[in-house]
Amino acid sequence: MSRIIGIDLGTTNSLVAFLGDDGPLVVPDPETGARLLPSAVAFLPSGEVVVGERARELVVERPLDTILSVKRFMGLGIEHVTPEDRRRYRFVEGREGAVRFAVDGREVTPPEVSSYILRELKRWAETALGEAVTQAVITVPAYFNDSQRQATKDAGRLAGLEVLRLVNEPTAAALAYGLDQGAEGVIAVYDLGGGTFDVSILKLRGGVFEVLATNGDTRLGGDDMDERLAALLLAGLPADLGSRPDVRARARAAAERAKRVLSDAPRAEVALALPGHEPVRRTVTCAEFEALIEEIVRRTAAPCRRALKDAGLEPRDVREVVAVGGATRVPLVRREMQAIFHRPPLVDLNPDEVVALGAGIQAGILGGSRRDMLLLDVVPLSLGIETMGGVFTRLVDRNTTIPVSVKETFTTAVDNQTAVDVHVLQGERELATDNRSLARFKIPIDPLPAGVPRLEVTFLVDANGILSVTASDLRTGRERSVEVKPSYGLTDEEIERMLEESFDHAEDDVLQRQVREARVGADMILHATREQLAREATVLQPDEGERIRAALRSLETLRDGQDYLAIRDAIEALSQASEPFARRIMDRSLNEALAQRRLEEL
Amino acid sequence: MRTTETGERQCWGCRAEVETLVCARCQAIQPLSGEPDLFAVLGLPRRLMIDPADLERRYHETSRVVHPDRFQTASPRERELSLDASAAVNRAYRTLRDPIALGRYWLALHGVSLGERHQGVPPALAAQVFEIQEELEALRAARNEDADSLRREVGERREDVAARLARLRAELVGLYDANGGPVLEDLRQRLAEIAYLRTLLGDIDETLEKGAQ
Repeated sequence: MSRIIGIDLGTTNSLVAFLGDDGPLVVPDPETGARLLPSAVAFLPSGEVVVGERARELVVERPLDTILSVKRFMGLGIEHVTPEDRRRYRFVEGREGAVRFAVDGREVTPPEVSSYILRELKRWAETALGEAVTQAVITVPAYFNDSQRQATKDAGRLAGLEVLRLVNEPTAAALAYGLDQGAEGVIAVYDLGGGTFDVSILKLRGGVFEVLATNGDTRLGGDDMDERLAALLLAGLPADLGSRPDVRARARAAAERAKRVLSDAPRAEVALALPGHEPVRRTVTCAEFEALIEEIVRRTAAPCRRALKDAGLEPRDVREVVAVGGATRVPLVRREMQAIFHRPPLVDLNPDEVVALGAGIQAGILGGSRRDMLLLDVVPLSLGIETMGGVFTRLVDRNTTIPVSVKETFTTAVDNQTAVDVHVLQGERELATDNRSLARFKIPIDPLPAGVPRLEVTFLVDANGILSVTASDLRTGRERSVEVKPSYGLTDEEIERMLEESFDHAEDDVLQRQVREARVGADMILHATREQLAREATVLQPDEGERIRAALRSLETLRDGQDYLAIRDAIEALSQASEPFARRIMDRSLNEALAQRRLEEL
Repeated sequence: MRTTETGERQCWGCRAEVETLVCARCQAIQPLSGEPDLFAVLGLPRRLMIDPADLERRYHETSRVVHPDRFQTASPRERELSLDASAAVNRAYRTLRDPIALGRYWLALHGVSLGERHQGVPPALAAQVFEIQEELEALRAARNEDADSLRREVGERREDVAARLARLRAELVGLYDANGGPVLEDLRQRLAEIAYLRTLLGDIDETLEKGAQ
């Protein structure tokens, strides 16, 4: 069996490691010897895709076609994109509101962008090991939700890797720390990366690494510090110059360099070259920088306190605080860690590499070479379903050790319901709408008076923290199970298509891709509309059916042609014709969802 | 050892007789029947008196054997057994280590329902609960200048409730360790009171947090 690799797919940098005979090793770039691969992907007009250091340099020249920090967009919907993000990239809305980047005449999903990074790391590992690599462990922020985890798995598949396990980053760091120091007792891992913040409290004992609690913020990191410092550098410039994407990219790069300097020195000299304008020269003092980032750093305190509380511990119970992530080099961050946990952080391990080393160790554990070690991890966010009144009913509480399986029985609140809508959610808020929607599916039931049906819902969270849901009608034994496909995720067909595309991408011309994408879009709406027409004919208004069918036929004819613009127009026409009809169906199913009630509440 | 739901069967792997979750001879994980006995899952007798250190040791030992990490290259059937067993072991540990969860499970095993929802306030708490609810109501409606003193009062109340909860919890452990164990009805009443106090504490924290924003 070939070796399993461990990958730290970071916001700013990514690394690959494996477990050697004497411990975990980071694999360097075979050409340059660099150990960090910048998580940058640039899409060139020639169709070429550039990854890593070269891509990062291209950002100044091609800011809109070079994606940095793609991890921030994994598993998100278009509504999560901030105005600040929009100033940085061009976004388009994919299927069901998924985020896509428009880069140089094509559209790419965040998992696709990430897959280029993974493919490069796979190449590094294959060169170093001298054999093909097909299996990997990939790390994710502990606070990643189900959609973000699924998106990471998809990225692995797109890169030709079987993702054996997703490991939480702080847990991976704890593995590396524990193996290195042979420590026992309770430790806290404070992981402030480029774009995400995680804190985990673990108990280490006899080779068992038990996570007691985890918390965090998936949109908080060193990038935010760069962004604020960049804004300071651009403050005096004319607005039209300061808002140009290339100028902003330059400013962020200069800010990032200044941040590094300020980790060791009291001041940093910044020289920012600008196109057609005097360069900005400025001294940034440590005090100035700290005033800028103070609010960001303070935001890490609340997750730490919540994690301690969930673990049932006080700061004094923590024996060691491990610093992970490049941003923990910032002195103010270290002081904050000390203030929260009442002890200086442990900084012996390289904060850039410790997660990758842990991923390498977990790869070794799965491969059977470290039977003495075992990781017991937790679900970061509560999981449940929507019940009557739009209430979020929890089935799995946050910080429950995985794998976990939970069953609960529900019933109906309306007489003669013929189906129940199961709406799966993740989060900590009381109202369903305030939490993250993961999936929605229907289970048909026999029409009976309210309160009589018995619907058993089972949640199973595997060792990757990924959820599957089963619902069965206990009276009929009719069962419906779903591997929860996140609302913004990729379908299996989409992944297959992208895989095919990635193989023949070099010869593929833009026209063919446009045609193929248009056809996929056409097939989706054709399928959905046909189904709705067949099932929900009673909801149609007079004439409406004929209008929809006409648009449907027109799209069917155009679909097989080469004119992708005509296909798109026909999609739009069908979408408009069927929109009121689709909305009525949706409204009705919402009413059915609200009608559920928890059994014990009767 | 008592006869339990996992007891007295043949191992599917080597046909040896097995009483535990994992076959002692060939290490194969045994399928679980419907609702496994959570004591048996960790090899414990059905008893409320549990030594925490022993419980943790058993949890770690069993996890080492059944965890999915150990079955990455095994057959799909073994992987499924590992997932089920591991989930059951986690549930057992989660339940048995917490005196409140353990008490509830004990009641369920004996067919007693806690009746937590839509039951009145436990009589022992009525007066205290009424006062706290009034104070919370006042705090939610308070203007800035009044809020601070109300907030302090509620904060003190919170400490009272938390202390009472801690005391009840400690009493529970004492009850489990005593000879003969608790009378079911006594246990039910205590657990109902605890459940009520927990909800109350949640309400207090929520109100305090909202005000702090």
